[in-house]
Amino acid sequence: MENQRRVKEYAEKFGKEEIVVVLGGAEAEASGLAAETVSNGDPAWAGPLAGVQLALKAFHILEPEIKDQVDPTVYEAQVSLMEMVLDVDAIVNEVGTIRNQYANW
Amino acid sequence: MRIVHYINQFFGGIGGEDKADYRPEARPGVVGPGMALSQALKGTAEIVGTVICGDSWFNENLEEAKETVLDLIKQYNPDLVVAGPAFNAGRYGMACGAVAEVVTKSLNIPVVSGMYKENPGVEVYRKHAWIVEVGDSAAAMRTAIPAMVEMVKVFAAGKTPEPGTYIARGIRQNYFHAERGSKRAVDMLVKKLTDQPFTTEFPMPEFDRVAPNQPVQDMSKAKIALVTSGGIVPKGNPDRIESSSASKYGKYFMGDLSDLTVEGHETAHGGYDPTYANADADRVLPVDVLRDMEKEGVIGKLHDYWYSTVGNGTAVASAKAYAAAIAQDLLNAQVQAVILTST
Repeated sequence: MENQRRVKEYAEKFGKEEIVVVLGGAEAEASGLAAETVSNGDPAWAGPLAGVQLALKAFHILEPEIKDQVDPTVYEAQVSLMEMVLDVDAIVNEVGTIRNQYANW
Repeated sequence: MRIVHYINQFFGGIGGEDKADYRPEARPGVVGPGMALSQALKGTAEIVGTVICGDSWFNENLEEAKETVLDLIKQYNPDLVVAGPAFNAGRYGMACGAVAEVVTKSLNIPVVSGMYKENPGVEVYRKHAWIVEVGDSAAAMRTAIPAMVEMVKVFAAGKTPEPGTYIARGIRQNYFHAERGSKRAVDMLVKKLTDQPFTTEFPMPEFDRVAPNQPVQDMSKAKIALVTSGGIVPKGNPDRIESSSASKYGKYFMGDLSDLTVEGHETAHGGYDPTYANADADRVLPVDVLRDMEKEGVIGKLHDYWYSTVGNGTAVASAKAYAAAIAQDLLNAQVQAVILTST
């Protein structure tokens, strides 16, 4: 709830063009729900983003668009271990699908 | 059609478990999931008010809660009440069910709810509410809302929902059948004997019966183990057992331990007030008493390990899997009996 409140505040302050939400969820469904929350609104209709369609673009840290912008040594140290054990394709696919559906601008 | 929506403190945007003691409050119009309901019901029905109450407060002050919530609902003069969806949240489901009971009895209007089939609210209150079966977490909101909307629309059209579209309420209705019961029963029996398909008129409830084991012959020679779904873990919860919907259980070395202390132990359980369990974890996992009994010779020996998980919202299927694994481990360790404590 606190995260939703912050995202909403930043979106109002900086505008959707200036914000990218980077996700770190460990599986596809949770990552997809987070991406949906910041684009189409809280799917559980419980938090500050219930019914609020911010249309923010969300990327997972494992997606190439984000990965390529990170210093490889930092990525290696912080993310690569998880990259080996997670279902990367499922996560990338789910987050991309949600992004294209609700933040396609 | 005028609708009042009942929700808990979480969906009311007030807060999580820390706000579960929130007292009943009414707000005009929609709050939280009511926004989704209201969009889908546009033109059919209007949510004129929302009543919010903390799950703990409702269940701990049941009679007062029912009365207060009923008064708050009544002021909007509704034709129907929607409660939830509560998914697999036990106290929320119980609150929705209690609201359904009091509203149906006092106002004689239908109450539509949505719950996961294992929610205790289903078992206790299904007679009073039209409960749509929904998924076990708020992630299922997107399917829960349309299902509940469909049911509201049925009532808005002046009809009663078809059996099968809601969780069976266990209410019998009388009607005249062309054939006598005895003939229908014999017809079914003949079909059964000739391996033909038939539909029972009275589905038997499924009881999960466990045949009791043989009693322990001599407790003074038996090795006894402690297993709990009350979440007692070493301080810091090393296995990170979840506070609800546990995905694992823990096995912990007891050694010479004769008393669980506030420094060394705590509960990981998120479904009850942990104050007293954290102050003295023996209240949930009675190591101190078992040690006394060991000394007095009432039991042979206390097993060197205890097993713990969190029962709060944990699926029956998961609990069965943990139980099977724990039981095998206990058999391997030649444990003769188990004391299973909950919360």
